[in-house]
Amino acid sequence: MSERNGQKASSEDGGSKKSKIDLNRLEMPKQAPEVRRRNFDEVATGYTYEMAMEEAKRCIQCKKRNCQQGCPVNIDIPDFIRLLQKGDIEGASRVLKAKTSLPGICGRVCPQEQQCEHACTLNKKGAPIAIGRLERFIADWERGEGIISMAQIAPTSLKQVAVVGSGPSGLTVASDLAIRGHRVTMFEALHVAGGVLMYGIPEFRLPKEIVQREVDYVASLGVEIRLDTVIGINYSLDELLRSRYQAVYLATGAGLPMFLGVPGENLNLVYSANEFLTRTNLMKAYLYPEYATPVKMGGRVAIIGGGNVAMDSARCAVRLGASEVSVIYRRTRDEMPARLEEVENAEEEGIRFYFLCAPTAFIGDGRNNVAAMELIRMRLGEPDSSGRRRPVPIPGSDYVMEVDTVVVSLGTTPNPLISSTTPDLKTSRRGTVLVDDRGRTSKARVWAGGDIVSGGATVISAMGEGRRAASAMHQFLSE
Amino acid sequence: MFSIIAHEELAPRVHRMRVRAPVVAAKAKPGQFIILIIDEKGERVPFTLSGWDEDAGLVDFVYIEVGKTTRRLAALKVGDEVAHFVGPLGRPAEIGRFGNVVAVVSGYGIAAMVPVLRSMKEQGNHVTTILQTPDRERLFGEADLQLFSDRIIPVIEPNGEEVTGSVTRSLRRLLANSAREPIHRVVAMASLCIMRVVSEITRPFAVKTMVHLTPLMVDGTGMCGACRLSVNGNNRFACVHGPEFDAHAVDGWEVMMARRCTYADESVLQQGFQCRGCSQW
Ligand SMILES: Cc1cc2nc3c(=O)[nH]c(=O)nc-3n(C[C@H](O)[C@H](O)[C@H](O)COP(=O)(O)OP(=O)(O)OC[C@H]3O[C@@H](n4cnc5c(N)ncnc54)[C@H](O)[C@@H]3O)c2cc1C
Ligand code: SF4
Ligand code: FES
Repeated sequence: MSERNGQKASSEDGGSKKSKIDLNRLEMPKQAPEVRRRNFDEVATGYTYEMAMEEAKRCIQCKKRNCQQGCPVNIDIPDFIRLLQKGDIEGASRVLKAKTSLPGICGRVCPQEQQCEHACTLNKKGAPIAIGRLERFIADWERGEGIISMAQIAPTSLKQVAVVGSGPSGLTVASDLAIRGHRVTMFEALHVAGGVLMYGIPEFRLPKEIVQREVDYVASLGVEIRLDTVIGINYSLDELLRSRYQAVYLATGAGLPMFLGVPGENLNLVYSANEFLTRTNLMKAYLYPEYATPVKMGGRVAIIGGGNVAMDSARCAVRLGASEVSVIYRRTRDEMPARLEEVENAEEEGIRFYFLCAPTAFIGDGRNNVAAMELIRMRLGEPDSSGRRRPVPIPGSDYVMEVDTVVVSLGTTPNPLISSTTPDLKTSRRGTVLVDDRGRTSKARVWAGGDIVSGGATVISAMGEGRRAASAMHQFLSE
Repeated sequence: MFSIIAHEELAPRVHRMRVRAPVVAAKAKPGQFIILIIDEKGERVPFTLSGWDEDAGLVDFVYIEVGKTTRRLAALKVGDEVAHFVGPLGRPAEIGRFGNVVAVVSGYGIAAMVPVLRSMKEQGNHVTTILQTPDRERLFGEADLQLFSDRIIPVIEPNGEEVTGSVTRSLRRLLANSAREPIHRVVAMASLCIMRVVSEITRPFAVKTMVHLTPLMVDGTGMCGACRLSVNGNNRFACVHGPEFDAHAVDGWEVMMARRCTYADESVLQQGFQCRGCSQW
């Protein structure tokens, strides 16, 4: 906590400087849509040094620190911006690293418009500081200069911790506990660390080199990463607890894809978003045959769903060379869970949206490849438990749409591999692991966080839950 | 990295590889599989285990050179390493004291069935094995099967013609005789076409029949759904709910076979069998 938090907040933050407030929020340069449709390079190319300085200078250094309160991991935002204003990028990076080990990732994929930037005082004037872009600039600058500012590591505690899963939640707990002097082993089922950051989020939104650099940073804190190791198979949770680990953190995410359950859904070239994205991103099918994993796709691709994962799938399909990409969503644009920015990016790239309709069957071409789908139109009825208006099918409104490839993107639930081999770990009916407000599960010495608890949320919330659990685990380990 | 301890050619284009992987060997059970990646640019390919030695930390699998990855694998030498090796994946084969068991094997199943039959024998079953191979030259693994089979019925078809036909004949003969010598269970690890035919033959006799299904896989841990198939009307993932399934509960063989061969023209992800008349070839 910074000392400034204790001070009395002025009611009119920056009021005296009102006349000088600069409301020109600086856009970040992007690849033009017609160019980026053809490559997997990053869409947004990042601030230059001059741009970052210009944007940082707009910050009025509010005493109230609204932005920091809006941040799920409580980054000392005004402090890093102040150092940036002075040109001390290394210092700014140290401030960031005190609260996040993954600034290059957070700067790119966090929904800042709902968090720090939403809370920013200047948002009242519609021009919040571009905090995410500044965070990204600092991380990228550090990478460019080859400088690695390291957090201070406490003397060893001789305690050992197992972290299961190497997504953002696991990485956060691993680094937090390593910094506090505990010996951490992180287990990962796949052949690379990073979780959804590697297998889900595409290269053009989050370059894999940046993820690996931040994974390397976590490893440099002394965390041992054991790839190709599945907990629930190679070691059960109980075996981990019986061996050298005093505590375990479960961060295995929500990896199990959901399907529609309509006829023909298993036809050839109907993919889950997880498979489509894993082939494309983790296995780098867009570089086939240099990379050995292919992804087969026809010209007309339909994506079922309206979330961020659907947007990522649609935008991958465009880049893989699809001639026509359609997003099929059963509610309207207003109910779409995807970030507005991503929807706009998708539209710019030529993706078409079809609202208020849902597939009722997939039809084969006689050789068991998908050739078309039957859809039914919807209207919006009463709000459901999520508060969004429930889509209701309109009888007799069926129609057929020809497609060559379908990507089903309806969300995921936690993989039951660990819970099914650990009877005393309490889970909800949806399969999520139940925890108290500090991340503690029903099982002694076991904490959990991230998508395995939330059922699917954001990178930063997975990190925030990790942060909270790590401090509870540290307290437990210090007793 | 995982080192190759032994590598031999059992028959033309059929190889056995032994890899040091103590974590896998410690938990391996009959019918389970591993996924390996040759190097950082490689694909994830599954192989059913054909043997393991827990104390020595070694595991064996047999593969057939069919696609790009298996060809690259065949070029590796003792002392070389593969980048990734994860397992044992999937549920173990169902083992029990059933009585008379008939096993149907072809391809890599000839080797991968051995641990299943060893356990079946340990349970006191009487085992009859129908072994299918396209020609004498490609006959391998008979000796290992012999160890755990009371009887072996080899089906060797010149030119690979009518393979499913002759397996059918052998199995039908056994079933026809079942009044005198009842069959309590059939277990098959063979090409999808053979397993499908086997399942249709045993269905009217209500003999429980287990098949080892090998759809395409990517992660092998239940994350991608590439390996899904319909079982009793429910979506099941072969990598976590299988690979062994009750053949009579499997619906949609045709769709499964089509999915299996999605990439057959470019890169065969799993050691497989080129089926005659298959829509995808
Ligand atoms: C395509 C896509 C795009 C997204 N875009 C955004 C975005 O722009 N912004 C945002 O904030 N959020 C986004 N999200 C959500 C975000 O990625 C997740 O909320 C976050 O990654 C969850 O982190 P986690 O650490 O809980 O789990 P994960 O990232 O899922 O990591 C879990 C890890 O555990 C491993 N594992 C699972 N089971 C086992 C086991 N038994 N043993 C060992 N290891 C195991 C998995 O292989 C995986 O690597 C997106 C998600 C997807 C799928
Ligand atoms: S980023 Fe916004 S809220 Fe935070 S100190 Fe600067 S102006 Fe104030
Ligand atoms: S291989 Fe991905 S779920 Fe089975």
